[in-house]
Amino acid sequence: MTEASSPALETRGLCKNFGALEVAREVNFRLERGARHALIGPNGAGKTTFINLLTGVLLPSRGNILLDGEDVTSLAQATRVKRGIARTFQINQLFRGLTVQENVCIAVAERLGVGGSMLRPAGKRADVIEEASRLIEMLKLGGDAGRRIIELPYGRQRLVEIAIALGLSPRALLLDEPAAGIPSAESHILLDAIATLPKDIAVLIIEHDMDLVFRFAERITVLVSGAIFAEGTPSEIAANREVRSVYLGTALDG
Amino acid sequence: MASFTAAEQLARRHRFQWWETLPWIAALAAFFAFPNYLAFGTQVLITILFALSVDLVLGYAGIVTLGHAAFFGAGAYTVGMLASHFGWTEPLSGLLAAALVAGAVGLVSGLVLLRTTGLTLLMLTLCTMTLLEQAANMGAAWTGGFDGIPGLSFGKILGLFSFDVLYFRSQYLYVLTVLLICFLIARTLIYSSFGQSLTGVRENLLRMHAVGAPVRARLVIAYAISAALAGVAGGLFTQATGFVNLAVLGLERAAGVLIVLILGGYGRLYGAFVGAVAYMVLEHFLAKAYPTAWQLGIGIVLVVVALYARNGILGLAETLRGKRRQRSAS
Amino acid sequence: MDLITILLGGLASGMVLFIVSVGLSVTMGLMGFVNLAHGGFAMLGGYVIALSMQHWGLPFGWALLLGFIAIAALSVVLERLFYSRLYRAGELDQVLFTIGLVFVMTASVTLGIGPTSQSVVLPDWLKGQTDLGFIQYRTYSLALIAAGSLLVLALWLGFERTRFGARIRAAVDNRRMASSLGVDVGRLFTVTFAIGSGLAAVGGGLGAEILGLDPNYPLRYLVYFLIVVSVGGLGRVTGVFFAALLIGVLDFVLKIYFPKGGTIFIYALTLMLLLARPQGLFGKKGS
Repeated sequence: MTEASSPALETRGLCKNFGALEVAREVNFRLERGARHALIGPNGAGKTTFINLLTGVLLPSRGNILLDGEDVTSLAQATRVKRGIARTFQINQLFRGLTVQENVCIAVAERLGVGGSMLRPAGKRADVIEEASRLIEMLKLGGDAGRRIIELPYGRQRLVEIAIALGLSPRALLLDEPAAGIPSAESHILLDAIATLPKDIAVLIIEHDMDLVFRFAERITVLVSGAIFAEGTPSEIAANREVRSVYLGTALDG
Repeated sequence: MASFTAAEQLARRHRFQWWETLPWIAALAAFFAFPNYLAFGTQVLITILFALSVDLVLGYAGIVTLGHAAFFGAGAYTVGMLASHFGWTEPLSGLLAAALVAGAVGLVSGLVLLRTTGLTLLMLTLCTMTLLEQAANMGAAWTGGFDGIPGLSFGKILGLFSFDVLYFRSQYLYVLTVLLICFLIARTLIYSSFGQSLTGVRENLLRMHAVGAPVRARLVIAYAISAALAGVAGGLFTQATGFVNLAVLGLERAAGVLIVLILGGYGRLYGAFVGAVAYMVLEHFLAKAYPTAWQLGIGIVLVVVALYARNGILGLAETLRGKRRQRSAS
Repeated sequence: MDLITILLGGLASGMVLFIVSVGLSVTMGLMGFVNLAHGGFAMLGGYVIALSMQHWGLPFGWALLLGFIAIAALSVVLERLFYSRLYRAGELDQVLFTIGLVFVMTASVTLGIGPTSQSVVLPDWLKGQTDLGFIQYRTYSLALIAAGSLLVLALWLGFERTRFGARIRAAVDNRRMASSLGVDVGRLFTVTFAIGSGLAAVGGGLGAEILGLDPNYPLRYLVYFLIVVSVGGLGRVTGVFFAALLIGVLDFVLKIYFPKGGTIFIYALTLMLLLARPQGLFGKKGS
């Protein structure tokens, strides 16, 4: 069963190729419990592919994925969600015609296993509605709860992405560029939201905004061409000359 | 506080509103007001039920199908063949059989077809329906082939009310009652968590997978239930008219019900009612006198709806109401 | 009837299916647009050809050219005015719009010209029989086979050997990639749509002998055209060609041996094929 020492999420020798193109190469990665971990790397380094492998959207060519020490490599996406892996998308994937409340309720209902229940009105699921409301308040979306997604500005929509993921009550939360598309003046709302995430959730964040990464992360992994290039604490990464030359140079100076 | 309102709104949504009695009052009023049009009225009610079944898959689950007449036809032929070959003329159990057969066809074809999406799915629904149509055409010993099975008569409803061949009085009330029951089933489904998850599939398939929903299973179940409802509509058609022929299975019926639903507004539960009444009343009075002009008119309406009024009559009404509210608020 | 006779008959009707459907395949492959009105262009084209011969005494060849130009022009107008507004819409809107268009076309022809079927009077040199050495066969069917073969050759060369064709192939395989490489997919679509509709018009005229020509033509053959296109694979000229021949021959054979409902096999085969290979027999996976 689960050992106390096993990380929330771990990959061992993970490989993925599309034909001749290698998008993940021997990735050995640990996301510790309660970690605040950032995954950075230049465009096309395979960061989103890595998330797709972790969540089961893609199946690896080789290697294993372990959740709390248990092998989930061959499990379907839906089963992994049930086991505690949740994600947000780089580009919003929301139920655009539905309200914020409904968006979060759908996720919560699935987690509680009532999504297939046909007789009882969704409105009578007080547990579902209350938990959704709690998450909505937590992300300071209360004022927009009754509005449809298409009526919200993009930045607010990004928060709904996170609310939906939290509604799945994950043990490992994967945030794929949560600040993408948000004006920098508004990104503090997002940062605050991420800062207030429950401490027992392990969070992996993919992000280009280095300010955000260095404020958020306790550990950073640098991915280049599908392989882990460097890993360490923010200060170690910032001090790493090779990382600076490959990737950080422009981002830090610019 | 606003979150409370949104949550409360969700908690109240499934409750019955006063205006929801209007269609049923209108249907009963029509029974007394137009005693000479009850045969036509019965057809309208059957079409409402059929369109309602399509709304479940198209309007809520977002499955675009061109072949839903397959299930209407399966139900219609089930009732017809049971009556003509086995003397099984008891109406209610006949409807149940129609629902079961059509539901089973829906379940099996759904399991196979719903692995695909988009154009392929559209083609496959069309092919399945045409396949059944051809099968009904070929199996003349059972189905009567091209001519169908005419002159069917059915037993008394609940052993009490016999079918009224001349004025369709009992048929009208019988079909209205069955419609009410089926409507309540559909309404319950739509406001349940299951129904909510269907709208999730319609709105964003990728996200629905990512929240861990068994998407395909949900779709197949919805498809089978919808097929069963369509089968009931088909069964009612055979019982009310006393015949069944290939027309119940054709592209014309499948496209027709789509038009009815779109005209009324899909994904709205009551769109089927508004669309069926509007379309069929117009058709009844215009199509016989000016069939070609009618086709031209419907064609133009479809083009306009597709380009400008995607939410049909009910959608237009909502927009107008929203505008008026805005004006009174400012 | 012996095998050769059946085969030639089937090939001739397959060629008609090909000429009508090829444009549909390319435009559907390019834009993913569900165009159920394609048969309508064939029908209108057939009418232009038949009527211009009857009333203006236009020779067969010129009438075909006129049909092509008239319908290509009409389709450009419709494409710019309406189709282009629905590219990003869902399939449902496209289905509704194009079914509506079919109704308008059918009703307009019925109102303006009448519900009876029209015939295209063939020139003398296409009538009668031709001696192939081993068999005597209808000259017109042979001419259809020749015309269809020439057309597929021309289209194939156009697709494989010209810049324009290369752009279409690129856009069919990956629309976004193509447009990011500077291919104007919208313009490409307008042009292919026009050519495809024009070819459908020619097919409507050439095929009047075999498929008939009346206002209900578009709805009657709708499923057939769609089957040919989806079996052949979207955006594949050669795929549509082989699929059209296959279906043409199969249909011909089945109608002779199983006159009652034999076509059921075509639907069953299509169903199974699409389940096993949603991209069609010749389509590329994922396109």
